[in-house]
Amino acid sequence: MDKPEFYQRLAEILDVEEVKPDNVLKDFDVWDSLAILSVLAMADAKYGVSVKAEEIRSVVTAEDLARLVEAKRK
Amino acid sequence: MKCTFKNKRISSIITVAPSQEFRFDDEYPYFKMTEAQAKRFKKMMSLDRHRIAPPDVCASDLCLFGVQQLLKAGVLKKEEISAILFISQTPDYILPPTSNVIHGKLGLGHDVICLDINQGCAGFVVGLQQAFMLLEIPAVSKVLLLTGDTGSKQMTRQNRLNYPINGDAGAATVVERCSDERTIFMDVKNDGSRHKALLIQGGGYRMPSSVETLKLREVEEGVVKCLEHVDMDGAAIFNFTMDDIPPQIEEVLAFSGDTRESIQHFFLHQPNPFIVTQMAQKMKIPQAKVPNNVVSLYGNCSSTTIPLNITLNCSEPMRTETRRVCLSGFGVGLTWASAVMDLGPLDYCKLVDYESK
Repeated sequence: MDKPEFYQRLAEILDVEEVKPDNVLKDFDVWDSLAILSVLAMADAKYGVSVKAEEIRSVVTAEDLARLVEAKRK
Repeated sequence: MKCTFKNKRISSIITVAPSQEFRFDDEYPYFKMTEAQAKRFKKMMSLDRHRIAPPDVCASDLCLFGVQQLLKAGVLKKEEISAILFISQTPDYILPPTSNVIHGKLGLGHDVICLDINQGCAGFVVGLQQAFMLLEIPAVSKVLLLTGDTGSKQMTRQNRLNYPINGDAGAATVVERCSDERTIFMDVKNDGSRHKALLIQGGGYRMPSSVETLKLREVEEGVVKCLEHVDMDGAAIFNFTMDDIPPQIEEVLAFSGDTRESIQHFFLHQPNPFIVTQMAQKMKIPQAKVPNNVVSLYGNCSSTTIPLNITLNCSEPMRTETRRVCLSGFGVGLTWASAVMDLGPLDYCKLVDYESK
């Protein structure tokens, strides 16, 4: 998985210039149910994986989220 | 479970929307959204306006008004009605069945089957299956399939998750026998283990109505509700629609020997425009075949989004032409039901506004 591309897609969802791997998701202003829905849709459409909301809520950083999506692809 | 039917058709559809319309731009302060939040939400969900029934208008009123228009237009006669199926989650009363109330208001004779079915977004296709099955009884002539919900009564206006996308509406669909032998293909599935994904906890007999169940709480920013209001696990529903519905539609297409190309319209239930777009992309169906404007203009009206979609977008061609269509409803239960069939020419196909007496 192309991680920089994943962070770029995450940045678009979170409406910021850049997302760094160690950024904590909850610290973003727009990390709400709409953002989580957007992440689910992105994971499905771009990476072909079905991520559950509780899995997303259990991760802390952007890198954790990238790892979650990557692990599901295997 | 897959099944097929022959010699049956939909002959008329009328959808009835309450005339009261609200615009998201005027409503967003109720949802405690800032202008920026509202803009983001509006864009993502393609929201514009929706129809909400006034307090004294029930789903059955919308459906009954539709039936009266069909009678007035002469496409249906009272004596032809052999069965009334009322598909709803917002009945008039806990008892008696609302189909009986409608039967009485129409002044029908005693040889009529009346059934209420507690169903939501899969309700139109589930109801069609029941209507086709009733038509296997020789004495049954025409079945009135009534779908209707006033979901706005199961939430507060101060609920940013549910209220902006909700719409109230009702529809009356006439289902009857015909000489056409072309097969109707259908699949209906259920998963009760996920029944909590869409739930109203209180007000039934598991948790009877009380002062406690009626207490309003702000459960999260911009979401005020009580235990007698609808609880939706939005993410679980999103997973459900993306994981379970595309495979079912593909199965039904394979069952009927159809392809994405041979189907002219995919009339999918519309929870919100975002999900419908994602589903169409996933199934690689051109968006032009998947009309997706019901929620933006009327709101998610549960079992009525499919008839509303047909009458809103294809009213003219459906009166003169036969179209190969795929219908798919999915939601509360969880229940998901899809069908492939020929639709039209219909005797009547119209979307009207409700007029109170």
